[in-house]
Amino acid sequence: MLSDPPTNMIAQSQSGTGKTAAFVLTVLSRVDFSKPTQPQALLLAPSRELARQIQGVIQTIGRFVDNLIVEAAIPGGISRETGVQSAVVVGTPGTVMDLIKRRQFNVSQLKLLVIDEADNMLDQQGLGDQCLRVKNLLPRTIQILLFSATFPDKVLNYARKFAPNANEIKLRHQELTVKGISQMYMDCPDESRKYDILCKLYGLMTIGSSVIFVKTRESANEIQRRMEADGHKVSVLHGAHEGQNRDALLDDFRMGRSKVLITTNVLARGIDVSSVSMVINYDIPMKMVRGREEPDMETYLHRIGRTGRFGRVGVSISFVYDRKSFEALSQIADFYGIDLVQLSPDDWDATEQKVQDVIKSSRARPDYAPNVIDKKD
Amino acid sequence: MANSSPSRQPTNHWVNGSPQRSGLDELFAEDRNSEARHRYLLEVAKQEHERIRKEAERVYREQLKREELQRIAEERRKEQERIRLEEERIRHEEQLAAERARLNELKAKKIEIPPPLPEPEPPAAPVTNGTTPAAQTAKQNGPVQTNGPATKPAPAIQSGGLFGSLGPKTATAPSIGGLLFSSQPTPPAQSQLPPPAPPASSVPASTTPKPNGVGPASESSRSTAPSEAQIAPDRYIEVHKNLKLLRKSVMEQAKTNPALKARLGDMRREIRKSVGQLTVASGVAGVNKVQQQKINQLLREALSNQVQSQPMEVSNFVLEPRNPVQGAVNNEATLPSVFLYLINIFAKAAIAQFINEAGSRPETADPVGICVAATLSEPDFLWRGKSLIDMLLAKFRVVCPVLFGHRGSEKTEQGRARIGWWKDGGRWVSEQQHMDRMTGLGAGFAAISLRNFANSKKTNPFPPREYWAAMARIVNTPAADISGTQCTVLKAMVEGYEQKFIEFYGTAALAALRTALVEFPARATQRSPAVDALQVVAQRLKRDTGLVLG
Repeated sequence: MLSDPPTNMIAQSQSGTGKTAAFVLTVLSRVDFSKPTQPQALLLAPSRELARQIQGVIQTIGRFVDNLIVEAAIPGGISRETGVQSAVVVGTPGTVMDLIKRRQFNVSQLKLLVIDEADNMLDQQGLGDQCLRVKNLLPRTIQILLFSATFPDKVLNYARKFAPNANEIKLRHQELTVKGISQMYMDCPDESRKYDILCKLYGLMTIGSSVIFVKTRESANEIQRRMEADGHKVSVLHGAHEGQNRDALLDDFRMGRSKVLITTNVLARGIDVSSVSMVINYDIPMKMVRGREEPDMETYLHRIGRTGRFGRVGVSISFVYDRKSFEALSQIADFYGIDLVQLSPDDWDATEQKVQDVIKSSRARPDYAPNVIDKKD
Repeated sequence: MANSSPSRQPTNHWVNGSPQRSGLDELFAEDRNSEARHRYLLEVAKQEHERIRKEAERVYREQLKREELQRIAEERRKEQERIRLEEERIRHEEQLAAERARLNELKAKKIEIPPPLPEPEPPAAPVTNGTTPAAQTAKQNGPVQTNGPATKPAPAIQSGGLFGSLGPKTATAPSIGGLLFSSQPTPPAQSQLPPPAPPASSVPASTTPKPNGVGPASESSRSTAPSEAQIAPDRYIEVHKNLKLLRKSVMEQAKTNPALKARLGDMRREIRKSVGQLTVASGVAGVNKVQQQKINQLLREALSNQVQSQPMEVSNFVLEPRNPVQGAVNNEATLPSVFLYLINIFAKAAIAQFINEAGSRPETADPVGICVAATLSEPDFLWRGKSLIDMLLAKFRVVCPVLFGHRGSEKTEQGRARIGWWKDGGRWVSEQQHMDRMTGLGAGFAAISLRNFANSKKTNPFPPREYWAAMARIVNTPAADISGTQCTVLKAMVEGYEQKFIEFYGTAALAALRTALVEFPARATQRSPAVDALQVVAQRLKRDTGLVLG
């Protein structure tokens, strides 16, 4: 990434291991800070939340860099009067393209294009097209860096065309799960009991913050109602909310004013809140492939990757309640080679004991978090 | 200026407007309407105007000059005041530095005496044998008598160094405490010190016994801690063991008592959930009211013992023996075991929350600390007039020994065991995990001990002097024994709590912060990220708040 002449790169690494830090450092080392308002690096992310988060990381890491200006090219992020006036721009593809078309974003001296969650960005119809169009508007010599925790094969082929002659760091899909995350599933007798079971989970173990992924906005709102009645402070975030409002809701969660975040897939990727210790797949993630519903392997991995950040431990619990959900989850487990631990809602004392044992053994797992000190001893 | 002259001058102008003539003369004069007369009057008016204008300007200039002078004087006064304060501070710090230097000297001297320091185990036993009885009696006899037995055996023991260093160590704390009392007339929290000590001497008296009580253990831990712990397990460890027995007993009871079994698990999970639901208050009062009420309600239910759990001796779960107190709600020797069990669960939940949540986000410890202090100070939940926080402290002692003056090298097996480095499945957990835990626990300790009960009718179960004492136990570590764990705990104790600490202790807190953030890391013989991080806290304080520590 840092070598000269700049080379393209496609990099894969597990969730919570420092991809963002890696490309932020590259960006900071490539930018010429004597031209602080001349755009030199462009970073693209799939959601406004992620773009804002990356913007924050750049500002934190670059705290002691003079003349560092970072702007977020997200709806409402760039002044319409002045256009882009910063060396580093983080944005979502749609907004970035608008800015370029309106001639409010001078791309002539961009040296670096980073695409975070690249498989997601290139795969989806809309986003992929936008990325390509943005890329075609940029200088030919630009260095392209693609990052993600997941790179399905078919996206990878496309990515190779998008970033030609790239160096690659790849992982096998059996190596993708983070060892610090204990993965379990809850066997619910039927769908209607999922709400009550969900509330019970919070007594089983010590939980900091938690994220609950659901399929529909309606169930998100219903879960919120039930959990608030149970004393939880909850943020709900899905596509129905407007940009600024979404920022405020997520900030509540980041700052710890609310400790439960219920969301649809909009936030499956990238969001980093270090105190998240539990992720719940209230619904198993599915995707449409050629008109058929299939388990969404990548989304599962990204969802559970919201916990166990930076070598910490975490728990993920997926709810199954019928044959379909059970089979979908088994396929995911097979794909990644994970042993999911079954939990049952019949005897909470026993379930509590089981959860405690699982958490304990996840810490004790011999291959967990290899570290220097162990070797020294 | 603006409102002094113009209002007066215009009146003058009208009076002087027609000079040399009275009103009648003016009227009947022949040249009354002549042009010459008119010009003359105009001229006069103009001159008058000019005069007034000059006068006004002069007054204005004078006023400016006066103000400038005043400002200069004020500045000079402020400067002098600042210099005076600065000098005072320097004097204080010089005193402190001198003491510290003396202390270091003594410590340096002391270290030379027992050379087999790095290998704690073998040579330790004989020495500790001599000291432990003293330590034991010291602790058994309670705080008032602690000073006696602890200091008396000192000369008797051959390696007087053990207590030799205790002398100056305890001396520093009260001396700074004394400084506190001379400089800060009414520290609110101090008025709530425990009854035995008269208010004036309460700080020295109360800061001393604590380090003394734990002191022998901590002092010897420097050279002999592991064996000391093996030969005479300290009271915290005993309480901790008893808590395990308590848990076992309650579980056994649940097998034969269906009423207990039906409630026990739910109560336990409710408590854990409620503690987990506490959120950062950020200035908004009452955000955690529901959870607090829920916890109190569950503990009350347990206290009423509707599930008919067996009564159990409470003395097993407190650090010092207690006698019945007049007016106390619970004076019997026993309490329902389910109540004690739930207090234990509550303490456990708090500690787990510190480790799991505050480890990555230290600020989340604060609401838990508030909840702990509020719950354990509830009059209904006191035993013989005092809180049952001892149960929580016993756990703290086990998971974070450095707060209690225990030390160890992170490079040796025994050292790690001594400072509470966790093992899982027979292997040490990673350094990051360990430091995360220490961060959470340090922040948790501060969150519990820096609570202001000045406006409360209840008694603070763990007043700020405990914070002071714990900090003293860490910063008084000899240079060669300073560990990253200590630095990490210290950093977590300080960060985010600077303001509260200063509110309680005033200038003394500044001196203590200086010791903790500047001198202590500078003394460390081994550099490590944790040591550096401590110094960064001082720099950050300087940058963010302008507080210059050194």
